[in-house]
Amino acid sequence: MEIALIGNPNTGKTSLFNNLTGSYEYVGNWSGVTVEKKVGIFKKIQGHLIDLPGVYTLNPLSRDEGVVTNFFLHESVNQLLNILDASQLERNLHLTLQLLEFERPVLIGLNMVDVANKRGIQIDAVKLSKSLGVPVVPVIARSGKGCDRLVDAISTKSPEPVNKKLVYYGKEVEAAISALSKEIDGKTEHSHRFLAIQYFEGNEYVKNYFYEIADSEKLNLILVNLESELKKQYASKTLPSFIYLKRKETIVKIMAETAVKSSSVIPLSEKIDRIVTNKFFGIPIFLILMYLMFMLTFDWIGTPLSDALDAILTGPITNLLENVLTAIHASDFIHALIIQGLVAGVGGVLVFVPQIFILFLFISLLEDSGYMARVALVMDRIMESVGLNGKAFIPMIIGFGCNVPGIMAARTIETPRERLLTILLTPLMSCSARLPVYALFVGAFFAGQRALIVLCLYVLGIIVALILAKVFSSTILKSETSLFVIELPPYRLPQFQSLWRSTWDKGKGFIRKAGTFIFAGSVFIWLLSYAGPGGINVDMDRSFLALIGGVIAPVLVPIGFGTWQAAASLITGFLAKESIIATMNIIYFVPNDSSLQGLLANYYSPLAAFSFMVFILLYIPCLATTATIYKETGSKKWTVFSVVYALVIAYVLSLIIYQGGKLFGLV
Amino acid sequence: MFSSFKPGERGKIVDLSHVSHLVQRRLLDLGITEGSEVCVKCVMPFGGPIMIESCGQCIGIRRKEAVQIEVVKV
Ligand SMILES: Nc1nc2c(ncn2[C@@H]2O[C@H](COP(=O)(O)OP(=O)(O)OP(=O)(O)O)[C@@H](O)[C@H]2O)c(=O)[nH]1
Ligand SMILES: [Mg+2]
Repeated sequence: MEIALIGNPNTGKTSLFNNLTGSYEYVGNWSGVTVEKKVGIFKKIQGHLIDLPGVYTLNPLSRDEGVVTNFFLHESVNQLLNILDASQLERNLHLTLQLLEFERPVLIGLNMVDVANKRGIQIDAVKLSKSLGVPVVPVIARSGKGCDRLVDAISTKSPEPVNKKLVYYGKEVEAAISALSKEIDGKTEHSHRFLAIQYFEGNEYVKNYFYEIADSEKLNLILVNLESELKKQYASKTLPSFIYLKRKETIVKIMAETAVKSSSVIPLSEKIDRIVTNKFFGIPIFLILMYLMFMLTFDWIGTPLSDALDAILTGPITNLLENVLTAIHASDFIHALIIQGLVAGVGGVLVFVPQIFILFLFISLLEDSGYMARVALVMDRIMESVGLNGKAFIPMIIGFGCNVPGIMAARTIETPRERLLTILLTPLMSCSARLPVYALFVGAFFAGQRALIVLCLYVLGIIVALILAKVFSSTILKSETSLFVIELPPYRLPQFQSLWRSTWDKGKGFIRKAGTFIFAGSVFIWLLSYAGPGGINVDMDRSFLALIGGVIAPVLVPIGFGTWQAAASLITGFLAKESIIATMNIIYFVPNDSSLQGLLANYYSPLAAFSFMVFILLYIPCLATTATIYKETGSKKWTVFSVVYALVIAYVLSLIIYQGGKLFGLV
Repeated sequence: MFSSFKPGERGKIVDLSHVSHLVQRRLLDLGITEGSEVCVKCVMPFGGPIMIESCGQCIGIRRKEAVQIEVVKV
């Protein structure tokens, strides 16, 4: 049994999905969190539940909405589970009416009853069910209330698809629907009425579908005739708005029967909005919040925890391992592999787990509170001046966690040009895998201003992205159209449990990567550093790793870190940014006491260290990100471009910083 | 006209047809049409977007699109 979740954006579909399937998919308080189809298995009954992106209608504007229409036209499903936001029922019902026209069994989950009640809206589920002709179950997806009843309703044999025509579109439209039905009769398994109405509304996906199955000339004739007739009879502006108004009439009638509205209090949301979207303080507040985040991550909590973890790892754990290895008479090779390769490499990455988790906690807080959409609003003016729109800022913030979901999130941007631009620029956002490098270097060279230096780097990433957006949008990606209409959801007090889950969900990826990818990589890199043309156990400066790094090192001299060590870690950084730290730990392996931080001072000047951090920030999207760029753009050209421009810009900026800094007498 | 509205003032939309097609579609999706009552919540500086509220739902749109919406004060 396949059941698809469908509903307007931000109505709690994914929350319900997680609740019913026991999985964890991405939940957040803005429109467009889910951008692709996800399949899960019900906990309590047999069958699959399919989570889809939120849509307002089945006539899509953006790529994520297209996913849903495509799903409708090309995949089969047994039942639709339509999630409605009870506090915005009127708007939500437009989609419901379209779903009912699809003539498949529909079940309605009336979500956010708690929010509606707080706003003084009471909805009579029984009456609603009667007027729509389908079962309606009130739920609160966030707390799980009502979910059991929903599962019961799903598993009881679904009633036959309703055939009651809820909306009467008027004599002319109905006649055209019948005419069109005749044309496509026997050629499709979908409801003719549904297809016809969608076609009249200008749904491109349905139009293309008709191309495949029917004589599109004849269909077009029906459409044109209908349009001209309506213009004559009703002076109606367009066919889509005519259809919209007919649906609205029906909805107004349903609402009058089922909903009672009493006066309500001013929601807290509006009070918060007066501050965070304040004319003048909007952007400063955002920057202060980011600064606070870095203070927490690098000064107040994160660093002490990481240091403690490091002390445990290099002290008791390494000692224990050494003792075990000696006790079992491990060969020198194994001994070195484990201590100098794995513990140094994997351990060197794992010590940053506390800092990464604090960063993720903060990002989850941004996502779940409702602040995300406000940032998009506040930033729109700046983004507009560089040829983007405020919505593009959301993928960028998500990119602070990891660039891959950031790039995926660009799907909600409606215009293809702005979407491409956002995809190309999101890798400039400093992801969490780059954070260990900063933590290490600011600890070694800028211990006084840790948070400030890191904030500078993040802001630099944003500024470079904005400048490049301007450059690209006035050269290679020119176009006039831009669209910015954004829904600002009410603020929701994040719950501890959901906050923890989404933090953990992001953080576990980091840990898993350390245990797999970085683990394997560490072994490999250690081997390269252990063996050389002269045999094994060579001096590291004569190892294969030094040889490979040495090829590139001369190029890096002008930007301040022309050592084979730096070059080698940059190469591994393409595979995953965390491996930069793993590689450095292996290369600069320090047996005991003295730390990597202390050792770095022998290899970098503070200026070179800053130049290095800037280079790491910008130089290349990692392998996974590059693959995602390719998947999302479907173009080899743009993928190569995204790698090349990043390399160029990183080199140029580091050059300016290092040479310029030297000119001013900094070292 | 929206341009003369100050934060906190309410109005009723009378004509949307001058707004660009895509924006019109999105506003429609959000349930904002001719006849809807709207309230200006805040206005961003330097010609930035404005935030309006309709039926308890807040949305942000650009100033240059907003001025093409015809509204009358209520
Ligand atoms: N108060 C309240 N909040 C809810 C309820 N259900 C979901 N939420 C919150 O609503 C927000 C949106 O939830 P999601 O599950 O991501 O919504 P979605 O429908 O999947 O959204 P898209 O993927 O963007 O279409 C989250 O912040 C949830 O915590 C509910 O019943 N009551
Ligand atoms: Mg979702």
